[in-house]
Amino acid sequence: MRNEKELLELINVHLDPPAAEIKRKQNVSVSIKQENLIQALSFLKSHSYQHLSTISCVDWLDEGEFELVYHLFSYDDYINISLKTRIKREPGVFQTAKEIWPVAEFYERDIHEFFGVEFKGNDNLEEMILENWQHLPPMRKDFDTRKFVNDNYEWRDYNGQKHTD
Amino acid sequence: MNNNFVKGSWQEILDWAQNKSINMLHYCTGCGAIELPPTMTSRYDMSRFGIGPAATPRQADMLLVTGYLSTKTLRRLIYTYEQMQAPKFVVGFGSCTINGGMYWDSYNTIKQLDKYLPVEIYIAGCMPRPEAILDGLLKLKKMINNGEADGYKRYEENLEFYHQNQEAVLGEVQRTQ
Amino acid sequence: MIDIIYRIGHFILITLFTTALGLLFMGIARKIVARIQKRYGPPFYQPYLDVLKLFGKDAITHGFIFDFGAVMALGGVIATLFFIPLGSWQLYSMEGTVLLIIYFLAVASLGMAMGTVGSGNPQASVGISRALTQMLGYELPYLVILFSLIYRYQTSSVWGLMQAQSGSFLNWNLFAYPLMALVAFVVLIGMMGKKPFDAMIAPAEIGSGPVVESGGKYLGMLLLQKSITIIIELALYVNLFLGGADNIFSFSFKMLIVWILATMFGSLFPRFRIEDGVKFFWKWPLGIAILQALYIII
Repeated sequence: MRNEKELLELINVHLDPPAAEIKRKQNVSVSIKQENLIQALSFLKSHSYQHLSTISCVDWLDEGEFELVYHLFSYDDYINISLKTRIKREPGVFQTAKEIWPVAEFYERDIHEFFGVEFKGNDNLEEMILENWQHLPPMRKDFDTRKFVNDNYEWRDYNGQKHTD
Repeated sequence: MNNNFVKGSWQEILDWAQNKSINMLHYCTGCGAIELPPTMTSRYDMSRFGIGPAATPRQADMLLVTGYLSTKTLRRLIYTYEQMQAPKFVVGFGSCTINGGMYWDSYNTIKQLDKYLPVEIYIAGCMPRPEAILDGLLKLKKMINNGEADGYKRYEENLEFYHQNQEAVLGEVQRTQ
Repeated sequence: MIDIIYRIGHFILITLFTTALGLLFMGIARKIVARIQKRYGPPFYQPYLDVLKLFGKDAITHGFIFDFGAVMALGGVIATLFFIPLGSWQLYSMEGTVLLIIYFLAVASLGMAMGTVGSGNPQASVGISRALTQMLGYELPYLVILFSLIYRYQTSSVWGLMQAQSGSFLNWNLFAYPLMALVAFVVLIGMMGKKPFDAMIAPAEIGSGPVVESGGKYLGMLLLQKSITIIIELALYVNLFLGGADNIFSFSFKMLIVWILATMFGSLFPRFRIEDGVKFFWKWPLGIAILQALYIII
């Protein structure tokens, strides 16, 4: 049963991350380099962080990078850890975490559908929420939602008054 | 008594019977479906007007589209609508079926239900309270009694228009026969 | 010749009367359940309007077997009306009618099964297999009861069993063999498909079981079949245990009492699974029926 400070010491000693801090009570955020991420995940899993809550993705358009965040939880310590990495936006390729947690397959499928990130080693990357989607992956920041809707759908005509621009 | 008189009065009797007993297939597409249990249960009882639930599309008369429709749901809804038997009515429920509602600038929801299925009556609100639902359903019953609720006939006459709009949004839609 | 015309007219009258009474009973049941749930319900005459509306809709057919199944279900049930005495009306009376009625009710279920095969929907086959399995469950205590009654009164026609209870109302089988009447009441609830034994209709699980593909005219015919089935089963119960009646009105009144009790009982329970239902029927009702049968024989 560790508290947040002991956890931070453990991570600093073994993983040597560029940045690690306590955000608030029961919440620790750690940034890791891209090469060391899978090893960090297995290290934390063997130290009682056995629950992968989800994997999320943030699109930093100006810096040209995607940031992948892995949220882990431990039933012994009751602490949430967010592990963050940055990958380059242009090829947008990363390794899968499927061998450590089998459920990561679905989170990566979701991220592939909405951001276009390809995960090597995961061969089940077909679409599951959208159907017949042929355009840019919709959650990227250079996908203009308003323009897409104005091009593809028609607004209801209220006596000549247009609904929106 | 010529043939039209007999047909006309038989049609009036059928319309009267239809308005007294409607089977509703409530397709809970979106968040508006949460206002249906209060309407069907003891407080705002809907079965005293003769409206009761139906389990399958083959037994239903009325399709209640509650809330927003993503394109994935729209395809299944069209299959369901085409399985129902004439005479059938569609009621649009909530403001998402009227002009897109809360999701008006979403890339995946449709903005007007009227272009894909023939709608008899809209019930506005986000969401409408059970009193508003009952008011709308009573207006629908009056329309059926007068013979004005002919959405299914409009669908068959303007089939090209509806099919074109459906395929513009969905890509390819399977039709039977 | 006149006799045959008289009998045919009699038969048509009985069919129409039974249908109308059955639909009225269904309306009364809906009203009672609604009042138990503290709300107004649909009016009493709602099932008539339902049937009228259903015959005005288009219907989609799935081939010859589907049509024939619906007709066979309705026809089997109408043929049973030959043999039930309703009050003092009866068309044919002969030995062995008790078992003949049980057989004919099975024909109705088989007709529905044939319609199910014709429709080709897997949910319908699940529903009809559940219905026939449940029939296996409740037939066994019912047959024990019937055979013990036949042994006691030495006659196997329903008319004879009814006549044997004439005299004062203490002669009724309800008071002479009360345990048997109780078991028959539970079996009646299973036969009519009320909760807790309504897994074959199960709207949220399997569509509505065997009628999942029927709409329009077919559903109307199945609704009529259900209403006549209700009257047949209630009439059998009243004739065997409540002494029948002299005229049709007091007979209907007795059926109404039994129907109200069965509805109120059935509105309280959740649903049994099929295995639980069959196991229940083979445990307590069968045990009590066998005890009562031994008491009669010895």
